[in-house]
Amino acid sequence: MTNRTVRRAVATLATVAVAAALTGGATVPAQAFKLGMAVGGLPALDWMKAQGDVANALAKRRGWDYVELSNNNDAATAVKNADIFIQDKVDAVIEFNGQPSVNPVLAQKLGAAHIPVVTYDIAQKGFYFVGIDNQAAGIAGGKALGEIAKAKWNCQPDLVLSSEGAGAGIVNTWRTGGMRDGLKQVCPDIPADKWISFEGNGQAAVALPAARDVLAAHPDAKKILVVGLNDGGVLGAIQAAEQLGRADDIIGWGQDGSYITGNNVDPHLAGSVFYFLEGYAVYALRDVIDKIAAGNPPPMKDDAGDPASRVEPCPVSAAEAAKIPDMPERVKQLLAAPAGTTEYELFCPKKG
Amino acid sequence: MSTDTLPPASASGFDRHRLRDLATGSVTSIAVTLIAVILVGLFWIGPNFLSASNVTIIGSFVAVPMLIAAFAGFALLAGVVDLSIGSMAGVSSVTTAALMGMGWPLWAAALGALAASLVFGAVNATAVVIFGADTIAATLGMLVALRGVAYIIAGPGGSLAAFDTDFYSFTSLTVGPLPVLFVISLALIVIATLIVTRTRLGRHVQAVGGDDRAASRAGISVTRVRFGALLLSALGAGIGGVLYVGQLGSASNLTGTGLEFQVYAAMMIGGYSILRGGVGNPLGAALGLLVVAGTSNILDVQAISPYFTNIIVGLLLLAAVLLDRLRGGDAYE
Amino acid sequence: MSDVATSAPTSSAGRGSLGASLPAGSGTAIVLLGAWLLLIVVSGLHRGDFLSHQTLLAVTFTMAVTGVLAVAQALVGISGGILDLSQPTSLILSAAVVSHYLEAGMPVPVAVLLGIAVGAAWGLFNAVVIVVGKLNPIIVTLGTNFIGQAVMLLVYQNAQAPISSPLTAFGQSYFLGLPNIWWPMVILVLVVGYLLPRTRYGRHAIAVGGNRFAAQARGISLKKTRYAIFTISGGIVGAAGVLFAASSGPFGPSAGSTYQLPVIAAVILAGVSLAGGRGSIWMILLSIGFLSTVPTSLVFFGFSSNWQAVFQGLVLIVAVAIDGWRAKRLQR
Repeated sequence: MTNRTVRRAVATLATVAVAAALTGGATVPAQAFKLGMAVGGLPALDWMKAQGDVANALAKRRGWDYVELSNNNDAATAVKNADIFIQDKVDAVIEFNGQPSVNPVLAQKLGAAHIPVVTYDIAQKGFYFVGIDNQAAGIAGGKALGEIAKAKWNCQPDLVLSSEGAGAGIVNTWRTGGMRDGLKQVCPDIPADKWISFEGNGQAAVALPAARDVLAAHPDAKKILVVGLNDGGVLGAIQAAEQLGRADDIIGWGQDGSYITGNNVDPHLAGSVFYFLEGYAVYALRDVIDKIAAGNPPPMKDDAGDPASRVEPCPVSAAEAAKIPDMPERVKQLLAAPAGTTEYELFCPKKG
Repeated sequence: MSTDTLPPASASGFDRHRLRDLATGSVTSIAVTLIAVILVGLFWIGPNFLSASNVTIIGSFVAVPMLIAAFAGFALLAGVVDLSIGSMAGVSSVTTAALMGMGWPLWAAALGALAASLVFGAVNATAVVIFGADTIAATLGMLVALRGVAYIIAGPGGSLAAFDTDFYSFTSLTVGPLPVLFVISLALIVIATLIVTRTRLGRHVQAVGGDDRAASRAGISVTRVRFGALLLSALGAGIGGVLYVGQLGSASNLTGTGLEFQVYAAMMIGGYSILRGGVGNPLGAALGLLVVAGTSNILDVQAISPYFTNIIVGLLLLAAVLLDRLRGGDAYE
Repeated sequence: MSDVATSAPTSSAGRGSLGASLPAGSGTAIVLLGAWLLLIVVSGLHRGDFLSHQTLLAVTFTMAVTGVLAVAQALVGISGGILDLSQPTSLILSAAVVSHYLEAGMPVPVAVLLGIAVGAAWGLFNAVVIVVGKLNPIIVTLGTNFIGQAVMLLVYQNAQAPISSPLTAFGQSYFLGLPNIWWPMVILVLVVGYLLPRTRYGRHAIAVGGNRFAAQARGISLKKTRYAIFTISGGIVGAAGVLFAASSGPFGPSAGSTYQLPVIAAVILAGVSLAGGRGSIWMILLSIGFLSTVPTSLVFFGFSSNWQAVFQGLVLIVAVAIDGWRAKRLQR
């Protein structure tokens, strides 16, 4: 780079900076409450985007400013987003952070800036916990699948597949492990060598080929159960069995309800556990952020066992799910419902 | 290096001055691009774009990729691109966290992770330099293999907590608005630039990347230069992985995913080529990374989807290679 | 064998010249077949039930989409286009379009043609950037893949062919005991492998890949060849997208990335020179067969999916190392 170029560039830059400072620096400071939302950013999971859309709609309705950033399922990005929220002087942050191992760093940064944080589903000391008890949701799904296995196969499956999603970290341990625990509560005597795990990444397209190989390696299994991180991962295993001509040998129970509604439901997906993830903002705003905005912050509750706002898991069989609208329609109805109404109240067939 | 003689200009097809012109030419255009990004930021966001806190945000996010680029630049320059750096950083990260979890002190865990990186780098180098494997294909294989290793080390939980208060505090230190890590990376970029432009070693690396046969005829050990360059690249990724543990207080099976594209796209925007050696300058790489980080920051601050950043980076990449071609780089016909 | 030996590729200094000097097709075939048989025998000895129809189904399902993509990649490689790194995008783009229009009630044959056309259009788009800009295909397709992924991520999250669609039923059924979607792959490999060295246009493509100056001197248009090859190869990727839609459940925009490594590995193992001008399409049946057996076999040995990634990566490294070594030795 020649010296002249440098000098010219610096001069331009300085001029522009001064001009911008004179014009831009005089803007009126915004008085409205400002909510920051970090969405998970895993593209294959469409409820992650919907979580932001609902929060946005509810914030706008209250006349708040709303800033949404995507964590991109990446720890470094989550940290950067926290810095941007702090710089943006948001009054509260909602985090859906799929890389929870970085949460202590987020807590350090946002805590130092005195910004209250709501965390969805993944507990962190000093963050208001809003969400599901993932382990309980896992156990509920496992029990429901266990009842089917008991009635149909007398609790004697030949194979129990776990479609893991290690990229989801501790959530995978809670949900997939919880499903195994729930299944064991109903069917305690399934021998240890019947339990096989494979990595499905929470996506049908990844789980399918992996499960195909596992099923081929167990050619004699006629009674197969599938549990997993979510509907997508479980569905992949079911479709693998269908490809191998063993569709009627397999029963799966999912988590998150992604693929149990609409007109494309696989007949071998026996049920799923809804948390209605897309509608979490109702809980977060009603029980935490509205109070903060009113200058009246609620007491800190950061434990999944004693949450600031509890989302109830809603296990549904495929037959019950047929009456539940699909996600876009649920969002529409949720936003039309009176303030504070949750999707659980609107859609769960058997309320606790 | 075995000899002082440089490949004669006629044999190499690359006159040293022309080479320097090429490098400075691309550095100039990338600097202009960076200024354009800064102007867009100032007009769109206002003076806050250059506020201390925003500069800190950009600096912290770009520090580790920049450090990795300072090292990876030698491999590109020598004509042996190393695609495995993303997973390499990931493996280094989870190895550091795992060893810390076993009670090792930080320095020992970091050394363990760096040793592992060098071993994997040596595998890359053996396949590429000794056996003559295609670098893109071989290091793509290493990229996939090491991601598997990262998953295995991270275990079923997917991540390992490794919050070391001192290490975290160190990575958050700033000098004025600039994070210390960024200053270190910048210093490494400057050192790398000096090595490339001012030392015999740097000229040898350029010569090997520009035309290995001519370099070999001039008595430069192509094998040694390329082997060393791939080791350096692995070492840089390894150091980056260790620093991530400090910045993030943890490591996960996904740490470093996609980092190779983030770094190489920026380096290509900055004048390097992943297909031919002998071109590029660490300063250009740093400016390229700042262009991408600045663009990304503008969209972040405006809360616009990060996917638009990817579109812009892709377009900038194509524009940069087109510009390089128009400036006299290789034309593909 | 349809192996074609043309003038030595003009690989410049720097990169190892891939497969530049592989021996005639028979050698590669024997090595591949030997490796494949060894893998089958060792797995069968370890567990007798490896040799079952279930294993055959698992392997052939894996082969289908990967094999079609490998044909497209090999065409690009042989004709001197090096590599198309944007396959993950065009595969999913085509599959998503097919799924979307099937959902909307479009008849299956029309949707299938549309899927192929989408792939061809993508290939043509790449070719325009490459030819007009005179830019290296690897970097161009790296860039267009990145842009394409981002655009798809902005436009949609999830797609799925309707499970009531005849295409889905086709994707799950068999013909002669093997998956329906396996047969189009085999036919494609055989037909393209037959036509490439035996037709005028095929020979032009090989000539351009081998030595573009010599080809030009013979009056072959480089530009026309590039446009044709990338469009045809794109159409083949589009066909792979149709098979993918027929045989996968719901898929997101990034679902195609897992194919990149096995496809490149298969093409290299098949002896296709990425420096251009050399390679047999037929050999892909063997390399894809071998590579698709590896993951199934590893599961029989009890390795986790994570170890599979390690093995797949190592197979590629070892393959290109051997390839490079052979090329080096022959140069001496």
